[in-house]
Formats: sequence, C-alpha cells, structure tokens
Amino acid sequence: MPGRQAHGRPLLPGPANIANGKKPGKSQARTLKKSRAKATAKALDAFAIAAEEVPESTRGVRTRGLEDRPAKRPRRGDDEEDEDFDGFDDEDDAPRKKARRGDDDDFSDGGGGGDGESDSEEWHVGVGAEDEDSEIDSDEAFGESDEERFDGYAFSGSSSKKKKKPQKRRGDDDEEDEEEEEEEDEDDLESLGSDAIDLATALDQYEEDEEEGEDDSGSEEDDESAESEDESEDDEVDPSKLGELENMIAGFAGDEDKEEEEPTQTGKTKLSLKDLGLTGIKDEHIKKSLRLMSKEEKAVKPGSSKKLEVPLAKRQQDKLMRSAAYEKTTETLDRWIETVKHNRRADHLVFPLAQNAHDRGLSTGELMPITQKTSGTELEQTILSIMEESGLGPSATPQQKNDGEAAPKLTQAEIQEIARQRRRERELHSREVARAKRIKKIKSKTYRRIHRKEMKRVEEAELEAKLEAGELDSEEEREALDRRRALERVGTRLRENKWAKLGKKAGRAVWDENFRSSLTEAARRQEDLRRRIEGRANGSDDDDDDDDSASDASGDGDVRNRLRAELEKAAAYEEDDEPKSKLMQMKFMQRGEELRKKENEEAIAELRRQLDSDGEGLSEDDEKEIGRRQYGMGNSAATAKTPVQVSKPRSVEARPSVSSTATMAKSESTQSQPSVQTNGQSGGAWTSTEQESSAPGVAGVWTQVETSDKKNKKASKTRGAEIDISSATMVAAQPSKAKPKTKPQVTEGEAQDGAQDSDEEFVSHLPMAIRDQKLIERAFAGEDVHGQFEEEKAEVEREDDEKEIDNTLPGWGSWVGDGVSKREQRRHKGRFVTKVEGVKKTDRKDYKLKGVIVSEKRIRKNDKYLASQLPHPFESQHQYERSLRLPMGPEWSTKETFQDATKPRVIIKQGLIAPMSKPMY
Amino acid sequence: METDAPPSLIEQPSGALAVTNTRTEFRSKAELNRIRRQREARKTYGRGPRIDVKNVKDKKLRRNLTNLENKYKAAALKAKEAEILLENQAGFLEPETELERTYKVRQEDIQNEVGLDVAQKKFELKLDALGPYVCEYSRNGRDLILAGRKGHVATMDWREGKLGCELQLGETIRDARFLHNNQFFAVAQKKYVYIYDHHGVELHCLKKHVEVSHMEFLPYHFLLATLSISGQLKYQDTSTGQIVAEIPTKLGTPVSLCQNPYNAILHVGQQNGTVTLWSPNSTEPLVKLLAHRGPVRSLAVDREGRYMVSAGQDNRMAVWDIRNFKEAVSSYFTRVPASSVAISDTGLTAVGWGTKTTVWRGLFSKAKPVQEKVQSPYMTWGGDGQAIERVRWCPFEDVLGIGHSEGFSSIVVPGAGEANYDALEVNPFETKKQRQEGEVKALLNKLQPEMIALDPNFIGNLDLRSEKQRQADRDLDTPKEDIVEEMRKRARGKNGALKKYLRKQRKKNIIDEKRLKAEEIYKEMLEKKDEKHKEKQAELGPALARFARKE
Repeated sequence: MPGRQAHGRPLLPGPANIANGKKPGKSQARTLKKSRAKATAKALDAFAIAAEEVPESTRGVRTRGLEDRPAKRPRRGDDEEDEDFDGFDDEDDAPRKKARRGDDDDFSDGGGGGDGESDSEEWHVGVGAEDEDSEIDSDEAFGESDEERFDGYAFSGSSSKKKKKPQKRRGDDDEEDEEEEEEEDEDDLESLGSDAIDLATALDQYEEDEEEGEDDSGSEEDDESAESEDESEDDEVDPSKLGELENMIAGFAGDEDKEEEEPTQTGKTKLSLKDLGLTGIKDEHIKKSLRLMSKEEKAVKPGSSKKLEVPLAKRQQDKLMRSAAYEKTTETLDRWIETVKHNRRADHLVFPLAQNAHDRGLSTGELMPITQKTSGTELEQTILSIMEESGLGPSATPQQKNDGEAAPKLTQAEIQEIARQRRRERELHSREVARAKRIKKIKSKTYRRIHRKEMKRVEEAELEAKLEAGELDSEEEREALDRRRALERVGTRLRENKWAKLGKKAGRAVWDENFRSSLTEAARRQEDLRRRIEGRANGSDDDDDDDDSASDASGDGDVRNRLRAELEKAAAYEEDDEPKSKLMQMKFMQRGEELRKKENEEAIAELRRQLDSDGEGLSEDDEKEIGRRQYGMGNSAATAKTPVQVSKPRSVEARPSVSSTATMAKSESTQSQPSVQTNGQSGGAWTSTEQESSAPGVAGVWTQVETSDKKNKKASKTRGAEIDISSATMVAAQPSKAKPKTKPQVTEGEAQDGAQDSDEEFVSHLPMAIRDQKLIERAFAGEDVHGQFEEEKAEVEREDDEKEIDNTLPGWGSWVGDGVSKREQRRHKGRFVTKVEGVKKTDRKDYKLKGVIVSEKRIRKNDKYLASQLPHPFESQHQYERSLRLPMGPEWSTKETFQDATKPRVIIKQGLIAPMSKPMY
Repeated sequence: METDAPPSLIEQPSGALAVTNTRTEFRSKAELNRIRRQREARKTYGRGPRIDVKNVKDKKLRRNLTNLENKYKAAALKAKEAEILLENQAGFLEPETELERTYKVRQEDIQNEVGLDVAQKKFELKLDALGPYVCEYSRNGRDLILAGRKGHVATMDWREGKLGCELQLGETIRDARFLHNNQFFAVAQKKYVYIYDHHGVELHCLKKHVEVSHMEFLPYHFLLATLSISGQLKYQDTSTGQIVAEIPTKLGTPVSLCQNPYNAILHVGQQNGTVTLWSPNSTEPLVKLLAHRGPVRSLAVDREGRYMVSAGQDNRMAVWDIRNFKEAVSSYFTRVPASSVAISDTGLTAVGWGTKTTVWRGLFSKAKPVQEKVQSPYMTWGGDGQAIERVRWCPFEDVLGIGHSEGFSSIVVPGAGEANYDALEVNPFETKKQRQEGEVKALLNKLQPEMIALDPNFIGNLDLRSEKQRQADRDLDTPKEDIVEEMRKRARGKNGALKKYLRKQRKKNIIDEKRLKAEEIYKEMLEKKDEKHKEKQAELGPALARFARKE
C-alpha cells in the first residue's frame, strides 16, 4: 500500500505488529484476539516511542486536526484500499453497525463513562505520558476516520475503541484473511464485552511486557478482571479527567448523540459489577455467568437496535469535527498565549532558554557553612547545636585556630621582650611629660609653702584681732576646737576600721538599724569634714599629699632643701641613650620632645630662681607678683612671662628660649615693646588688659591713627556729598569698616604688613566706590541708555505685532481724483484688508522683563530638527518629548544604565538552541 | 508627593496642640529611606517632570511609557549611587573664626601649607617686553597659550614647564585660542586670523576673518567664531573649513565676547551697554539685554549655562540669570572698570580689575531660590603694578591664570577646579593615543551648526506651527524639480547623462524611484531607436535591410 506508506505516521504500528506476529511461543487460547491485542499494545508502545522522539510542539494540532484530512483523502482513491473498504462495507454493514451500537450502549452502560475512562486509562498505562496519549488517540481516530465515514457512523464512541480496529487492521494488512476472520469473530461476539476484553488484553499484554513476572492470563476471565481492576484504578487516579472526556465526547457526538443516548439510558437498567461494588471479582464462575449475561444482552440487543438512527450527513459530521478540533486547537494554543505575550513584551530574550538548560533545577548557589543565623530548618539547628556542644561549631573553630597559631609562633620570652620594648617606648615618649608633671608638683609645693607662710601671718593677725575683740576666749576655746577636729578625723578613720569592715562583710546594714544609722552618721560626718577642709582658709594640705603634711612639721629651710634636691633630681635627668623606637625617631616627634624638654628646663630654672629669692625673704611686691603670675598662667605663655621679665632683669636672657613658636624677629619686637612701656609706667600699675591692647599697636601706631583720621575725613566727605548708599554701595567693605578695632587683636603678633595693607585698602574701598559711583553717574548721564532701549523694544514689539494691511487700490472700483467726496473716499478705504499674523505684545516672552528684548522670529534653520507631526503611538506632545529625553550614551549615564540600554533584544548564546518545551508562564 | 517634614505641634488658642505633618500611612524605615533616596536622585539627576501614565488610554503605550518612566527612575538612582565613585572632594579656604577673612590669605601662606606638587602650580612668568598677555588653557587644562600684544605667542605644557612652541610674529595680536585640542591654535593677528599647529607651523590664513578682536571656539560643533572690530561675527567650521555664517552685528565695535558652554550661544558685549546673544542660524540677535550703562567690558557664563556675570565700564559687575534674563543680584562694584571676568567649574568668579584680581565665591548658587549678595571676596591677588589683561581658570585645577602687562601669573585658588573629571568628556591625563581617539570620536559626534539654539534640547521636539502656517512658510511658487526630465533633456551625444546615470546606478544596485523612472525612459528611448531602425530597414527593402545602420 504505497499510499499509506507514503503517509508516515499511521504506518508506525505496522512494523510493530509484524514484529509481534513473528514472535514465537504465543500459546493462547485465542491467538487471533491475542495477536490483535498484542498488536494494539505494541502499537501503543510504538506510539509512545514516537511521541518521545517527535516533540509535541512539532506535531501539535496539525496532526490531530483537520488539516490532516486533505492529505489523507487521496488515499481513499487508492484502489486496493478502496476495494477493501468497499467490500467490507457491503458485507458487514449491518453487523458492524450493530457492533457499534453495542459499543455505544456499553459506553453509557459502563457506569457513567466508566468504560471511556478505562480507555483513557488504558492509554495512560500504555503510553505512560498523559499528553501523548490523547494525541495518539485523536491522531489515530483521524487516521482511520475516513473508514468510519464510509461506514456512516458518527463519532459517538470512544475514539480509542474505534482506533483499535484500524490499528490492528493496518497491522494485519498482509494477512487479509485473518482480518476477515477477525471481523467475523467480532461479529460473533458483537458485544462490548468482547471489545472490552480486547482492550483489557492489550493492557494485559502491555503490563506483561513491562513486568514479565506477572501472571500471563490468556483467558477472558482474566481480561475481565484486569479491566475491572483498571476501572477501579481509574476511579482513583483521575476523576478530574472524566468531565473533560465527557465534554469531548459530547463535542464529537453533538446533539444527536445526546438524543440517542436517552433511550439507551432508559433501557439500561442493568447493574454493572461496579455498581455493586464488586470490582475485583476473581471467581471464575461468577465471571462466566457475567459474560453469559452480557451475551444475552447482546443477543437481545440486535433486535432492539434495529432502528438505528440515520447517520448525520457527511458535511455535518465534518462540521462537528471541525468545531471540536478547533476547540481542541484553541485550547492547546491558549496555553501559549501568556508566554508569547510575555516574550513579546520582554526587553531582552536569551537563547538557549533556561528551561532547556542541562542543569535546570539545580541550584547554582554556593553552599555556605551553616551558622546560627542561616540555619533555617530544625534539622540544621539540631545539627548545629550538637556541633556546638561537641566543640565543633562555627564559633568554636576560629578561637582554637587563633590559639594554635599564636602559640607556636612566639615564645614566652619573645612576648615578654615585645612587651618590654613597648613599655620602654611608652616610657620614653612620656618621660618628658612625666618630668613636667614632677616639676609642676614641685612648683605647686613651693607656691603653697610660700603662701602658707603668708596665710599663717594673716590668720595670726586675725586671731589677734579676735582676741582683742573678745570673741574668742583664748586657750580653752581653741583647744576645744582642735579636739573636735581631731574627733572628726578619727571618725573618718573609723570608716575604714575593722568594725565597719566586719559589718559590711556580714551585711549588717540590712538588718541592724543601729549599724545603719551609725553608717549614715559616719558618712555625714565625713562629708562635713570634707567641706571643712575645703572651706577652711588655713586648712592643711590635701590628705593625699603625705610629704607635704610631713613638711608641715619640719622646718622651713629643711623643706627648701628638699625641694631643691628634688629639683636637682628633675634637672639632672638626662636623656640616656636608650634604644629609640621608630616613632621616636621621626622628626616631628623629636621636635615635640625637644619643645617639652625646653619648657621643663625653663620651669626648673624659674623654680630655682624663686627658691633662691625665697631664701632672701619675700617682699610685698613678691606677693603681688605671685598673684599676677597666676593670672598670667591662665593666659598664653608669653603674657605669663612678661611680669617675670619686668621684675627680674636676668630673665630677659632666658627669654629667647622661651618663645618657642614665634620667630625671633617677632618676639624681639614684642619684647622691646613692653619694656618701653614699663619704663614709662610704674611697675605693676599696668594691667594685663592694657598690655594686650597696646601690644599690637607697636607695628602700626601711626598707621592706625592715620587710617582713623582718613576714615573720619572720608566719612565727613561722604556725608557732605549726600550720596545715597543704599544698595549700590560695595557692601563688601562694610564689615571691614568695623574691623579695624578688632582686627589688631586677631592679627596680633603677626608682622604682616601686606595683609594689613590689603585690609586697609578695603577700608578705604568704600568711600572711593561711592565717589566713583557718583562720578560714573555723572559721566554716563548724557546717554539715556534705558530710554533708548525701551524705544527700541517698543519698535520691535510693534513690528512683531499683528498687522492689518490695506491692499485697496485707489481707483479700483471707485473714482479718484479731485471732486470725490471724503465720504466716498472713506467708503473705499478698507475694502481689501489682509491680516498679518504676529505676536501680540502680551504674548511676548519679554513682556514682563525690563531691559530685555527676546526675538520672536522663528529660526528656520532649526526647523529641520523638529518633528513635523506627533508620531503614532503617542497621545500628546508631552509624552513624545519625554520619550526623547532619556540619553543612551555612556557620557550621560552610568555604565550599568548604558549597558542595559544598549543590550540587544535577543541574545543567542553559542550551542544548540532547543525550542520551548512548555509554556513558561 | 510625600512630605518628609517631621510632625510639628502647633498650639491652638484653646490650648490644644494640633499636630501637623503627621504621617498617616505606615511605612517602614527602609521604605522611607528608599523614597527619600529616589527623590534626591531625581532632584539631581532627573530629566524633567514625569508624565502621568495613568491617564494614557492605549494599553501598549501605557506599558511602554511606564517602562520608560522606570528607566528614567533607575537611571537617576544609578547615577546617584555612582556618586560614590567621585572620590575627590573640592575644598575651599574656610575661616576658623568669624573674624578671620579668607581674602587675607596670601599666595605665600597657601604655598607654605600645601604639598609640593600643588605649590609648584603657583608660578610667575616675567615677560614684560611684549606687552600685556592674553592667556588661554586648552580644554583639558594641560596646555597654556600666551599671546603678547606685541607679537609674542607661546604654548606650553604648564605643569611640566615644557614649551610647546614659541613664535615672534612681529605684529599685533589681539586674541589666541586653542582649537579642539592642543594640536592647533588660532591667533587673531593684525589683519587676519591664522591657524598654527603645535610646532608653531602656520597652517592656514583665514582671510575672510579680517581684523578680529575676539575669538571663541565651540568644541562640540567645531566652529571657530570670530568677532571683528567692525562687528562682523563669523563662524567657520574647522573640520570642513567652510564658513558657516557671517553675521553683521550692526551694533558698532564689540567690546567683549564669551560663549555659553551649555548651548553654544555667543554673548557679545556691546558699546552701548547691551549684551546680545547670537547663534549662527539667525541674522539678528536672539536676545538683547541691557546690562550696563557703559560698554560691557567683560562677560562670563558658568558651565551650566544658568548664570552670566558681566562687568561694565560703569564700574559695575552684575550677575544674570540667563535662563529667564533677569538680573539675579543687584550690581557689585569694582573700583576700576574690570578688564576680565572668568567663572570656574565650581562657580568661583575671578574679576581682574586694574592691577588686581579678586575671586568671589558664591556669587550665584543654583540651590538658592534667591541669590544673595556676597559681602566679601574669597581671595585677592595683585596690586603690584601689573595691569591685568585676562583671567582664566585652568580646568580641573585649583589654578587661576592671569595674563597681565608683565607676563603671566598662575596662582593657587583652593576649590576652584572640578575635582572629579570625566574621562569620557575631557581627560586631563590623556595619552597621545587617547587624544587621537578622542579627536576622531569628537568628529564623529560633531553637532551641526543648525542645532544651536537657546534651548539645546529642542531637537526632535514637535513642530507646533499650524498647518496653515506651515503651508504659508513653504514657498509654493518654486516649480517641482524633475531630475529625470532634466536628464532626458541633457541627454545628448553617445554618453548622455541618462546613460551615465544608469551605468553608475546599476553598479550600485540601488533601486529607487528615480532610477525606476530613468530605466523607464531608457527603455522608451531604446524602443524608439528600434522603431527607427525598423523603419530604416523597411525603407531599404528586404534585401538591403541588413545594411541599415544601427545608431
């Protein structure tokens, strides 16, 4: 059959069957049936293979749709086939119809399409993929649909059932007699039962093929049972499909079918095994009787089904099929709509698709160690906790590691060495600081010592005064006072005594009221004492200063000696050649050290001097000096030094070394300055504030005076000229006007003549500007620039404005010349007026701007870069122009944006690009 | 869209506290943060107002526009995020106390404090023989051109102190300027403008530019604009050599010229105190602005094209908002009419007047809604008796170049230069190869002179004229030009225009309307010829037909 062979797909079951036919060792009771069933099974198998080989998308709707038919039509013309069919038709028309009828009945019989279900299930099992089965199903149905049409049957039964026959038939093409026989056989059986058995056998066969260990039952009984089993399975597996299938059937059958169905349903009062819940019957006897029953029914049926419905006209059948096929097609295609939409809208598409990637479904993310935070599941957490417990957790490991690393690397000695080194460095760095501290202490001691003497004197005088006044009755009173003080001191000591400590330890304060009260009392007393110590004018030194209190007792000279010794010690300290750290070797560090050292030395020298002078006996002046020095110390170092300098001529020598930051020249200038002043004034009479103000004056006494003079002069001048200094003046100069008073303070020591100069210039700036302005005003007075400009603007406005031009020709349609009345003339005046469009004055861009003329003329050359009309999709100018504003170039956006913007829409990577295997969305 | 102002309490007369600016919707902190960032990004990098997408009826358009808006948003955000890459920050001299003044800081002080490499940028060139010098930097700030009034021209890589070339021209020089890079420069000499290359070799003499007093170069359009003493404004394309526009300003001898780097419009300061704005596309000024009472001595426009500073003979200095042509600040005063004004990338304004130069900071700021008058200058320099001729900022450097009667001075002004350069735009550290590549790229990206307008974004906008107006603008009297017809007429002799045209076109294999027409005509001609031939054959009779001559 060349025609068929040319048609690739339907041929497929052929070879399978042939192969089947050649298989030896098939000893079944009904070999024919068996072979048929086998053939179908094999065919199914082949289909499954084919389905796998040929992707669904390529086969798609076309193969199962109507487009297949025209291709098949010519096949009908093939003589062999034709003959075959014709003969077949003639012979078996009625019986076949009967059979069909029976089929139909059975379908309705089979418990709400149970049979149909079973069929679909059959396909499921046979093919193994749900998508494929339906396809093959319809495929097959259409493949032999022509045959059906010849028979004049509608598609009322299950498609799979119908298919079975042609499959087999095609398979047995070569053995026609066999086929004939089989037909007869079928006729004999004429029952659904036989048919069902047939299917079941196929199933069975398939199952057998699959799992060879299963019992090979050639008998119908077995088949029956298998079918029933299948049914039950089907019920379990997919009840959802039922509705679908019914719909499909309805679609195939159309209205007529339904009508047909009604009487059959009424006649079908018989209970099926399933209805009884006896699905899994294994008993041979029962099965036999069942079969008999069904046979009986079948036997009855032919009579009843004599009045077959007239089959639908072919066109109607076609129509129905088309509509059904269309529905099917749309359904299939609809699944892709979302994907197609999505892909159309997508900015970028990348091929090969991710769904076809060989590593799809595998996560590419790195596996990170689980931590307390990341552990999501309970299992992870448990494992983690176990790990933690056993010391293997993530937190435990680094510590161990650290320990392990540090230990072997450094020995104990090395660590010590490092520590020592560090300490030495630190010490070295702070040695001078420490020295300064020590000196300070000495200083304070001397100071206090000196003071104490004075205080004592004052107190004594006071006491004497009091005694004289009779406020204090001498010894007794004084003793009482001392005693009280001593007691208080003892009280403080008590705080730290054994009793207190014990009490604290025992927690007595919690329960013992007395203890608590005594504690509070102690605290109060201590507070009182502290206040007394602070407040007492002639009080002793701080408690912490032990040596001082000791010195209290010892003699004055003694103290001085001790202090001196201390000073010596501090001074004697010299930098020993200890190894220097890197830090200390740096320049700036050294410089800083030097500086500190210098200061320290100075302080020592001063202290020495004081001690020396102390020895000579202090005068009243000295005290004053001290007071002043205190004042000075609060200020800068320079001011602090000046009093010394005044009182002690030799300090002048030390002076240059004192100034550390300022340059020599500067210090000298300042040095000479106060000395002059002190010469002029009595020592100590001048205050520090005076000094401050006068100090900077040194550089420019005369200049300052002069400037002020100038200022005054100029001010008066300006006032005389009465020039308005409102907005036009150089305001920049105004703050600098107030500056000269304050500025000298700021720029105090700096001998920056230049800066002063420039500053002064700004001072003198203002009046000049004012004067200049007046001059300028006068200079430009002749030219009325503004007036001219306004005139020009008005002119331009007039020119651009809307105009009416009278094109009336005198004498055209009227008389001209002498003797024409004025009225007549007027009548003819505005007969032909053309209006010229323009820009109204109020519409001008410069309407509200003063001193600005903006040209309203259109620039023709720019026009070629304008869009003549709004491009299609846009609804407004704004939308369109907005769409232009997003720049693409790398100059105007970040690299990321640029790359996004210029990425091609479709990216095809190297390699095999498989089509989409399923809808993506 | 949402106000981030913190809620505030306002006491009512009844004593109750009314809460304003409450947050009614709940937003997480992250969300608020994101919104804030978006707003900031849009403020700095946004490109105009968004469009209302919701009102778009067409679905597809709506989706496209929404995508577009998202792109805008993403681009702005990315740009904002990329700010992190701007590693360098501009810093200014900051007074520590209220009484301290930055203008008192002298160059020596700065030199002592800054690093060696910066300190070296301050230098003096003593060139007192050949008159006041004008100075110009190349676009990337590497090269400097000095031109003395009396004929001395020198280019140099000023950072390395390497002299490029030196010319003694022996005639008056009024202006000098680099072209698109340091390889060429133009000098306005006594009569003509000459173009030299970096070796000092004279390449061109532009004889159409007569007695030029001011020059400007528009780098994106490759236009050299010259302004002559007679008031002729000429644009010459330096890439093609064509003169693009010759415009008589008709306003007398111009005094000053500067370009707006934003839109390539030229600002010309006139004798009568007006500033006129010119483009090569119109013969009359786009805008006239009355800026001063006397001649406008000098002009400068900031790089964003927002503000213009003008200095006039009337001792005033004015700041203008040139987007809407309003005077931003009432005038400042100079003691002497200023000779030169320049604005740096960061908005510092240098004013050269008399023998001094003053640098102002914050004369204008786009962040402020209303410009305020600055009370005191940022820095000052000079006063040593050299008359200042021109001040120019060096791009990407904190350096101000001052050309004066005694040579050239380069001073350090902290915070003047753009700290972060964009190598895609101008690269101060470019190599030779980069320079060459940049030149080619610039030529490929060259803008046409017709693209110059006050609003440079006009390109692609909708033409808003009415159809009637457009029709009127179109000149309807011009006859339609039919090239094919013309060709047919001209087709004389053996190698007629039509044949030639077809021969050439066939090679190119471009089929358009014109060619189709030409082919048709050609076919016709052939047929005619054939007919003629047949006639001749018929005339000669069957025997002699073969001798009929084919034309």
